[in-house]
This record gives sequence, C-alpha cells and structure tokens, in this order.
Amino acid sequence: MSAPTRSLTRKRPSGRKALLATAMLLVAVASAFPLAWMVLSSLKTPAETMQVPPVWIPHTPTLEAYGKVAGVINVGRSMWNSLVIATITTAGILVTSMMAGYAFAKYSFPGRSLLFSLLIATMFLPPIVTLIPLYRMVGSIGLSASLAGIIVPNLANAFGIFLMRQFIAGVPDELIDAARMDGASELLILFKIVAPSVAPAIAALALFAFVYHWNSYLWPLTVLQGNADAYPIVISLSRLLSYNRGAVNTGLVMAGATLAVLPPLILFVFLQRFFVDSIVGSTIKG
Amino acid sequence: MAKAFRASAGIMLAPAVTLIGVFVLLPMLLTVWLSFQDWSTQTPFSDASFVGLGNFHEIFSPTSVGRDFKTALLNTTIYTALSVVLILPLSVVFGLLVYQREIAGGTALRTVLFSTYMVPMIAVALVWSKLYSPSEGPLNQLLGLAGIGPQPWLSSPRSALVSIVFLNVWQQVGYFTVLAIAGLTQIPGSLYEAATLDGANGREQFRFITLPLLRRTLLFSAVIAIINAVQVFEPVALITQGGPVGSTNVLTYHIRRVGIERAQGGLGSAMAVMLMLSLIVCVSALFAFANRKDSE
Repeated sequence: MSAPTRSLTRKRPSGRKALLATAMLLVAVASAFPLAWMVLSSLKTPAETMQVPPVWIPHTPTLEAYGKVAGVINVGRSMWNSLVIATITTAGILVTSMMAGYAFAKYSFPGRSLLFSLLIATMFLPPIVTLIPLYRMVGSIGLSASLAGIIVPNLANAFGIFLMRQFIAGVPDELIDAARMDGASELLILFKIVAPSVAPAIAALALFAFVYHWNSYLWPLTVLQGNADAYPIVISLSRLLSYNRGAVNTGLVMAGATLAVLPPLILFVFLQRFFVDSIVGSTIKG
Repeated sequence: MAKAFRASAGIMLAPAVTLIGVFVLLPMLLTVWLSFQDWSTQTPFSDASFVGLGNFHEIFSPTSVGRDFKTALLNTTIYTALSVVLILPLSVVFGLLVYQREIAGGTALRTVLFSTYMVPMIAVALVWSKLYSPSEGPLNQLLGLAGIGPQPWLSSPRSALVSIVFLNVWQQVGYFTVLAIAGLTQIPGSLYEAATLDGANGREQFRFITLPLLRRTLLFSAVIAIINAVQVFEPVALITQGGPVGSTNVLTYHIRRVGIERAQGGLGSAMAVMLMLSLIVCVSALFAFANRKDSE
C-alpha cells in the first residue's frame, strides 16, 4: 500500500509535512463546513440567525426550530413514507440484481453478452429521458399519486445487476457444482450458498440503493401530483420553501434539512467501508 | 444439463429483464416515438398524431419555444463542462492527499469528503441557498473578512449558474475522489522506485507516471460526471426556478416543465431525444479521444 508513495517519503524538510497537513485540514473544513453550519443553525434562536456579523455557535442551543418544522409538515408521516419507499425498493433491487447477476455470471446462454450490454447501457440513461412516457404509463395503470407508483418502476436497475455479476463471478464454480450434486435447486443455491459468499457486496448494494431512493426527488415529485399524504421527507421539505425568504426562518429550514440528512448520513458513518469497497470493486474488476 | 440451465437462466433473468424492459427500455423507445408526434401528456398515447420533424423544427426555431430550449441546452452544456473541469482535477488532488502515507489522517479526510455524497440534493440546495444569502449569509461574511465585497451569487444572472456548479462540485467531489484513489492503488509502486533511481522529482513522476496511468480512471470519472451533471434539478426547481432571466434554466428542469407541467409531451420528448443524442456524441468523442491517446 505504501510503496507507490515512496517517492514522497524520501527525506524531506518538515515544512513539507506542515504544508500537507494544512492542505488536508483546509479541504476537510471546506467539505464539512456546510453541514456543520446546517446543524448549528438548526439549533439557533430566530434572533441569532438574523445577526450580522453571524453567530457561528448558538449561545443557548434550542430545539425550537424542530418544533416549528413539525407545525408545517407532517414529519412522522414523511419519514415513514421515505422509509417504506427506500426499504421496499432496496429489497426488490437486491432480489432482482442477485438473480440476474447470478445468471450473467454463471450460466452461458445464447445472446448473453448482447443482453448484458443492453441492460448496462440503461445505467447511463438520465432519468429525464424516460420521464414523460413513464409518467403517462404509471398513470394509466392506476399507480399515480401513490407510493406504489414511486416504488414499482425502480425494483430493478442495471447498476445492481452489474455489481452482483462482478462479485458472483468470483465465487468458485466447485462450490456451486457441489450443491447441485446434492440436488439443491438453483434458487436455493443462489440464496444459501452464493449470497453468503458475496455478503459485503450485497451490503454495499443495499446501502447504495437505500440512500439513493431515500434521496430521490424528481420521480416522486412527478408521480405524486401533489398528494401530500404520500410525500417522502425530501418532497415535504420543499414546503419549507415558502419560509425560505428572510433570515428569521433560517433555523426552521435548516432543522428540516437536518432531519432529511440524518438517516443516510448515519447509515454512511457506520457502513462506509462497504460503500468505498464496492465503488473500488466496481471500477477495477471486469 | 445445459438445457436445464437455459430454463434456470430464463427464470433468474425474468424479473430484472421484465422490469427494466417495461420501465426503462419501453419508455425510452416511447420518448423517441413521441418526439415525432403531436401529443398532450394528458391524453392516451393513441391520441398522438405524426408530425414528422415538426417538434425538432420548433425547438430550434427563433420562437420563444426555440429560444428557451436553446438557452437550456447552452446552460446545461456550460454547467456540465464547468462541473467536469472542476471535479476531475480536484478529485486527483484530494485523492493524492488521502493516498499519501507521509502524515496520518488520509482515511478521515476521505470520510469527510465522501459524506457529502450521501446528502439529499434537496438539503444541499436548501443549505447552500442560505450560505449564499447576500446579507447575513456566511459566505459573504467570510469573503468580507478577506476584504472582498459581497457577491450576488444566486441572485444575479451572471453568477447564478456558476453558484449552482459550486454546490454540485461540493456534493460530488468526494465520490470522484474515491474513484481517483481506486485508480492510484492500481499504479505499481515499482514504477515510482525506478523513476526515483533515475532522478525524477515528484513533479516529473506525477506528470509521466501518475497522470498517464490514471487516464482510464479519469475517462470513467468524466463520463459519470457528465451523466450526473445533466441531471441537475433540485437547486433549480427549489431555489431559482430557472432564473434570474433564464440563467439557470437547465434541460432536466426545462423538459419536465414543458413535458409534464405544460403537458406538451411531443415537444418535451423531442428535447429529451436531443439530450440523449448530445450525450451519445459527447461520450463517444471522449472515448475516441482516449483511444487515440492510448495508441500514441
């Protein structure tokens, strides 16, 4: 791991290390500043958010702003909707990706590489390209303005298939053949033998999918057509927009943003190893 | 045995292929078909009537429809180019900062950088709209400390689009830093040792070893950064609504406004097709450029 940086570790003046440390600190502060400021502002009183020059650290931290958010949007309902959307979508993506990834990694069948390329190509398609007909299609099957309308079109995606194929290809064929000898069905082999040996990749995909669909905005906004009962938290947040003018409501807006940010950020803090490993794995392999 | 596997392959592939076929490939084909039709998004597909290249003529015409589309196309191009030009070099510099082993703290820096990628864009937009606030916003306050006068940020047509680029770079750069680190770990250490023996200094090693061997990674990063950049929506929908005076009207926002809100499905689809074609041309050009470099 350290070999490639040997050139940098020749005897150097300590000024170089100080420079390096300063650069790293500056980058870290610049990167962390907006979120730190968001949390700090959510704890300020309205008087403090209006002060010029600004108060950086609230003198008497208060949760008053969070209470006000609860008065404008239905926080519990929105968070629950987000949880339902992200959890069911993630579960669907895991199952469909593992099945398809297994087929592409371990079976040979006519048209395999053509079908794989076709599916992978959709990974590079910006969602706006399909938005207009998809909106009409989902409406005509009676799923608009509902959670199902948000979830169903997203139950499979190319990234998941790609990631699963990359990792399942590394599972030894002998392991699978031995299970076949014992008469295990292919689905049983996939979920009992293959899945445990690619567990870190599955964890990574689960986290990616959960965070992506927790944060997703364009499709839910389009399909829900103003049905506020089904709003996930990120859509409910736009209701705070009318409070966005004027510094007096900065705390309110920042408290709302903090609520939406916390679940994905907490997941990330505990499980970041899987995120990073799978990004590295998906670019290097294959 | 082989025949049995073929049946299993069918079962394993059916859910994913059906879902992606119905909800991605079919709507993509419908977008292409609708781009040649006069069709209101409020009506069934069967109500569409063929108009040939009419929609394409209209979105490039000197009328207000054409002007708005061309502005959106130009804004998206500027936004995408600026994002890529800022994100790629920063990702390499930050990647080197994380990857170096001279002083500790690389992994912590990676965590901080990557954490912003987890933040929903809607929250990024809300937070930055407050950071950019002209009077009491912290950015102008900090600039004031450095003796620089207050900037208009999102409220001026000259700086609004660039301000949105900045918040995009802030959110995304950590992801691309991780990609750059993945590329750096692939470079054999022996190359640096040999170069050191030959008396190459750090700058020369970066120029002749690190950069050339990162080219594949940077190509991949550029493609992803472009695809991500054309999807910018939340800051525009939430904060600027395409303004001031159209300066932040980008394609994803504009296509949704035309195709969904105004229900002009044919026109919106023609715009979406132009976006798709632009992306294909752009990505193909990148690959052609990289391959020519490879064969040099």
